[in-house]
Amino acid sequence: MSEDPKTTYEPRIIAFLCKWCSSAGSDLAGVSRIQYPANATPITVPCSGSVSPQYILTAFRKGADGVLVSGCHLGDCHYLEGNYLARRKLFLVKELLEFIGLEPERFRMSWVSAAEGAKFAQVITDFVADLRPLGPQDKLQGQRP
Amino acid sequence: MIDPEELRTRARDLLEGGQVRAVIGYRRGTRGWAAEPVVITRSEEAQDLVWDPSCVHNLALYLVQDRRRRGVLRGPPDRPIGILAKGCDARAIVVLMQENYVQRDEVYIIGLSCESSGMLDERKLAGAAEGIDPQDLEAVDFEGDAFVLSSRHQQWRLPAAGVMAERCLECRNPCPKVHDTLLGKEPREQERRGQALTPAMSDPFAELQRFEQTADSVEARWDFWSRQFDRCIRCFACRSVCPMCYCEECMVDSISFVVTPDTTAQEKANRLRWIERSASRSDNIGYHLTRALHLAGRCIDCGECERVCPVRIPLRLLNTKMERESRERFGYEPGASVEVAALLSSFRDDDPNDFIR
Repeated sequence: MSEDPKTTYEPRIIAFLCKWCSSAGSDLAGVSRIQYPANATPITVPCSGSVSPQYILTAFRKGADGVLVSGCHLGDCHYLEGNYLARRKLFLVKELLEFIGLEPERFRMSWVSAAEGAKFAQVITDFVADLRPLGPQDKLQGQRP
Repeated sequence: MIDPEELRTRARDLLEGGQVRAVIGYRRGTRGWAAEPVVITRSEEAQDLVWDPSCVHNLALYLVQDRRRRGVLRGPPDRPIGILAKGCDARAIVVLMQENYVQRDEVYIIGLSCESSGMLDERKLAGAAEGIDPQDLEAVDFEGDAFVLSSRHQQWRLPAAGVMAERCLECRNPCPKVHDTLLGKEPREQERRGQALTPAMSDPFAELQRFEQTADSVEARWDFWSRQFDRCIRCFACRSVCPMCYCEECMVDSISFVVTPDTTAQEKANRLRWIERSASRSDNIGYHLTRALHLAGRCIDCGECERVCPVRIPLRLLNTKMERESRERFGYEPGASVEVAALLSSFRDDDPNDFIR
């Protein structure tokens, strides 16, 4: 009884969402009954600037197919400059992951405000659509426990 | 080129005059021609100091170790410590000062300009010329744009560009910018570029570019790097030799988690472990990428990590990649100035934004 892995494969996304905006944005998508794929596991963080590159590497190493970091629009950071710092730091993470040969589509950043439920749904929908053709991420992943 | 005698006199004067409590430098090692780092505290020892193309080590590492030792002694230093610094070593010291790890008045920097030359790469030496056995060599010396290698019976004069370390070929400032006293001359741009040592001299990221040209797709790069990371045996030599890796506790081996007879199995199991010490591919990638990211904006490209790697992982590629991105995208140059805010604790409005949705 073997099923075609291409049809059954569901990408697993780890989404680090800023509690001041993107997390509320995802709530808004929910209460607005907007349909979007259920592939993302949200992890609420105090600020996108608090996302250590270590979180992203570890997510990939524990088997995430894609990692999303979503924060407030520039100028809207609750801590004034957290998202600017995140942008610089995570740009380097993205470049480094591409440099060692991870598909560039697997790491993504977005700015989603608390009022943009529809945008959040769109970001996740696009991400899943981009990840599906890539198949499971087995490059950085360690042995499954 | 710098006369070693001049260097010895300078160190002797500093120690005799009591201006410094010690001088970190190089002396002839026990392995024939190769120099080794040394800390001298008495003026008589100054005669042991050497300066030749085998002075590859980044001495800023010993500044870090001195600072660690002082941390244990708890007393403030009464006098600064003297240190010989090539262009790269001086950049490392600048980063340490920028991060407030050492203070400017705790260090007396004796700048050494590599002028238009650089350091010898021992690995390139094998097979560089007929009949040279690195084991037999007794001395190496600068001579214009060449290195002179001497064994007991013979001498060779090799063009420096052929056997010079890759990082020296790509070096942008072989002359220390921050120093208390400087030996040797500031090389003129034309001299360095025009001397036709190698085209790489004019191109600071030559090796990185060569790599990107050969491995121009995601698959090719993964193919390359997965093989490199698989080889890593996790000896942590790269970490030990790096003057920027001065954290008290490293992500890969927790020292603050003290295991006593009372520690329960549950406590041990629940301990936070980002990266294991096992040499598996996934953990190796975690280790090397973490290191590259922790060095982003701090690595001054002394190339020591790559030199000491026993399995020859091209670690400089990771670090120069970060260096090039920060230079091109953020206009940041590590080790250029003590006053500038660090790469990852500053930002500009026009940082790249097009990768964000």
